[in-house]
Amino acid sequence: MSVRLKLALTIFATGLVTALLVVATLVYSFQRFENETAYRRGMAFLVRVVSMYDNIFDMHEQSPEEFQRWLRGLVLYEPDIELYLLDAAGLVLAKTGPAPLKPGLKVALGPVRESIERMDTSYVMGDDPERMDAGAVIVAKPVHRAIARTGAPNAGYLYLVLHTQQLPTDRMDVLRSSFARPAMVGVIAVVAFTTLLALLIIAAVTRPLRTLTRAVATLSQRGLAAGLTVAPTSPLPAPTRDEFGQLTGAFEMLLDVCRRQWNALRRTDHIRREGVSNLSHDLRSPLTATVACLETLDGRWAEAGAPADDRRLVEIALRNTRNAAAMVRSLGDLAKLDEPEYRLRPEAVDVGELLDDIVLRFAERAAQKGVAVRAVPAADAAGSAPPHARIDVELFERAIANLVDNALKFCPTGCTVTLAARRLDTQIEVSVSDDGPGIAAADLPQLFDRFYQSRSSVAPATGDGGHGLGLAIVKRIVELHEGEVAVESSLGHGTRITTRWPAG
Amino acid sequence: MSASILVAEDQTDIRELLVMNLRAAGYEVEAVADGPAALASQKERASDLLVLDLMMPGLDGLEVCKALRAQGRSTPILMLTAKSTELDRVLGLELGADDYLTKPFSLAELLARVKALLRRADLLRAAQANVGGEGRILRNGELEIQPAKRQVRFRGTAIDFTALEFDLLLHFASHPGHVFSRAQLLDAVWGYSHEGYEHTVTTHINRLRNKLEVDPMRPELILTVRGAGYKMRDEP
Repeated sequence: MSVRLKLALTIFATGLVTALLVVATLVYSFQRFENETAYRRGMAFLVRVVSMYDNIFDMHEQSPEEFQRWLRGLVLYEPDIELYLLDAAGLVLAKTGPAPLKPGLKVALGPVRESIERMDTSYVMGDDPERMDAGAVIVAKPVHRAIARTGAPNAGYLYLVLHTQQLPTDRMDVLRSSFARPAMVGVIAVVAFTTLLALLIIAAVTRPLRTLTRAVATLSQRGLAAGLTVAPTSPLPAPTRDEFGQLTGAFEMLLDVCRRQWNALRRTDHIRREGVSNLSHDLRSPLTATVACLETLDGRWAEAGAPADDRRLVEIALRNTRNAAAMVRSLGDLAKLDEPEYRLRPEAVDVGELLDDIVLRFAERAAQKGVAVRAVPAADAAGSAPPHARIDVELFERAIANLVDNALKFCPTGCTVTLAARRLDTQIEVSVSDDGPGIAAADLPQLFDRFYQSRSSVAPATGDGGHGLGLAIVKRIVELHEGEVAVESSLGHGTRITTRWPAG
Repeated sequence: MSASILVAEDQTDIRELLVMNLRAAGYEVEAVADGPAALASQKERASDLLVLDLMMPGLDGLEVCKALRAQGRSTPILMLTAKSTELDRVLGLELGADDYLTKPFSLAELLARVKALLRRADLLRAAQANVGGEGRILRNGELEIQPAKRQVRFRGTAIDFTALEFDLLLHFASHPGHVFSRAQLLDAVWGYSHEGYEHTVTTHINRLRNKLEVDPMRPELILTVRGAGYKMRDEP
C-alpha cells in the first residue's frame, strides 16, 4: 500500500470518526435540552397545582373516583403529561393515564426526593409507572393533609411524568429535524472536503518521492551499466528544498559517485583487456616466425644428419616456443571472451555427434601416448532422444577439447578418458572423466581460476605443465552459456569434470 | 609442372620463411608485401593458390579475397590471421576464402593445408572435365546441385554455401546412400587430418542441415548412422 493511500485513508477515517462524534454529541445535547425544557414546564405546572390546592390528599381520601376525574381534568390539554398521587412510601394511589396499573405498584423515592430538594438540578429521571422498564423525566411535589401537625411527615406526593421522546427511532428524528439537518450536511461536506484536500496535498507532497522511487526502480531494472550511461536524462525530480529535495540530491550524488567509479572501473578493465589482447596479437607474429625458423632448422638438420645434441636443442626450443604460442593464443582468446560485447552464436546441435568429432580429433595423439579416448553413447533418462543442445558450437568444442587436452596431459599410458553426454531437464550434461592420478583436494577450489597452477599438476612425462588458462577458458565459455561446471576428483582414482549446457 | 603459389604477407620474416619452405616443398612461389601488389600480380598471371595475410597495409586479405572473387576467380585462398576474432574467421570463409590458419601456426600444418587445397582444386577440375562441363546437374529430391557453377538450389531457391560446405554437400550428393565415417569425410573433403580447436565435420554437417532441413534436429536429407557416420538419403 502506498504512503499516499495510507495517509488518505487515515485522514478519511479520522474525519469519519469526528463526524460520528459530532452527531452523537448533537443527539445527546438535543435530548438533554428537550428533557430540561420538559422538566421546567412540568415543574411550573406542578408548582401551580400545589399552590392552588392545599387539600389534594384530603380530596383523594374523601372520594377517590372524583379525585381521579379532577386529576384528569388538570392534564386534559397536556397529552404528554401523566399525573400520579403517591403515598409517603411511593405507592400509586391515583393516576391520569388510561392504562391499568399493577395493584400496589411503587415508584422509587430517590428521584422524588431529588426533585423536591434540589432546586439547581436541570432535570430528574425517575420511574414511569406505565413502563417500569424505561425511565422518564419526572417532577414531584409533596402534598399534605389540610390539617397537619407540625413536623408530621408528608402525606404523599404529586408525581408528574413527562413523556419526552426516548426511543432510538425517535432519536433518529432528531437528525431529521430542521435544527440538525444543516449541521449534518455541513459535517459530511467538511469530511468529504477535508479528505479530498488531504488527497491533493499528499499527492503534491509525495510527488518527488514517487518520482525518485521510479528513477531508482528504472536504474535497478536497467542495471547499473545501462542506467548510468543514460543518467543525464534520467527522470530525477527537480530538487526542492524540503527533505525530499535533500534525498534526491543525496541520491544524485550517490549516483554520480557510482557513475564515476563505474566508468573508471570500466576504463581500467577495458585498458587491461585491450592490453592483453594487443600483447597477444603483437606476440603472434614473432612467435610465428620463430616457430617457422625452428621447424625449418629441425627439418634441415634431420635431413643433414646433424649431431643428436644439436637436434635435441632445436627440439627443446621448438617445444617451449610452441607452449608460449599456445599461451599467447589462450590469453588473446580469454581477453576476447571477456569483452562485454562478446556475443555467442548459438546453434542447435546433437552433442553426441560433437563428442564423436572431438574423440576423432584426439585419436592420433592419444594413440601415441597409449591413452584410450572414447565417447560413450548418450545415456538418456527420457528415452532414446539424442541430447540436442543450443550452443555456440565453436566455443563448446573449444571447452570440451580443453578438458580432453588436460586429461591427456596428466594421464599416464594405459588410462582411459571418457566423454559422455546426457539430457537433464532443461540442460545437457557433458562430462569428461579419466582414471588418471587425480587432483589433490586442496587444489580443487582454485582449479578454474586464471593462472592457477598446482605444484602437483605438472605432467610427469614431459614436465609440461598447463599454462593455467585452459580451464579458465572452459569456465568462461560455460558461463557465457549460463551453464555450470563442476569437478570431482580423488587422488589415485581419477577426475571427472561435469559441464552443463542449455538444451536445444 | 609444379603448382604456383602467391604469398602476400607484410611481415618480412614470415614471408621469407613461407617462401623458403614452400619452395623447399617443390612449389613455384612468388611473394608480395601488400594487397594491391597481390592483385596486380594476379592480373599478370593467375596462381594456382594464394596465401593471404589478413592484416596488410593498402588492401587487407579480405578485400583482396573479395576483389578476386568479384572478378570471377575461383583460385583457392588460404587466409592467415593473427586475430582470434571468431567472426573474422567465418567472414573469411563467407567472403570466399577456402581455409584459414591462425597465427602462430606450424609449418607442417600450413603445408598440409596447401596440399589439401591444391588437391581439392584438382579434383574439382577433374570432376568438371569428367562430367563434360557446365551442363550436369545433381539432383536429390528438391535439392539441385550444379557442380560447375558451385550453385545449390533447394526447393527452387538458391542457397549460399561456403567452399567447404559446398564440397561436403557435393561429396554426399555424388554418393547418395553411401555411409561415410568422420575420418573418411575429413580425408575426402578436407584432405588433411585435423587437430586443434577448429570445429569440423559435425559443425559443417550441422550447417548443411540448418540450410537444407525443415527440422535440423530431425534430418531427412543428411542422415546420421549411429556409430558409423553420415549419409545422404537415396534419391527418392
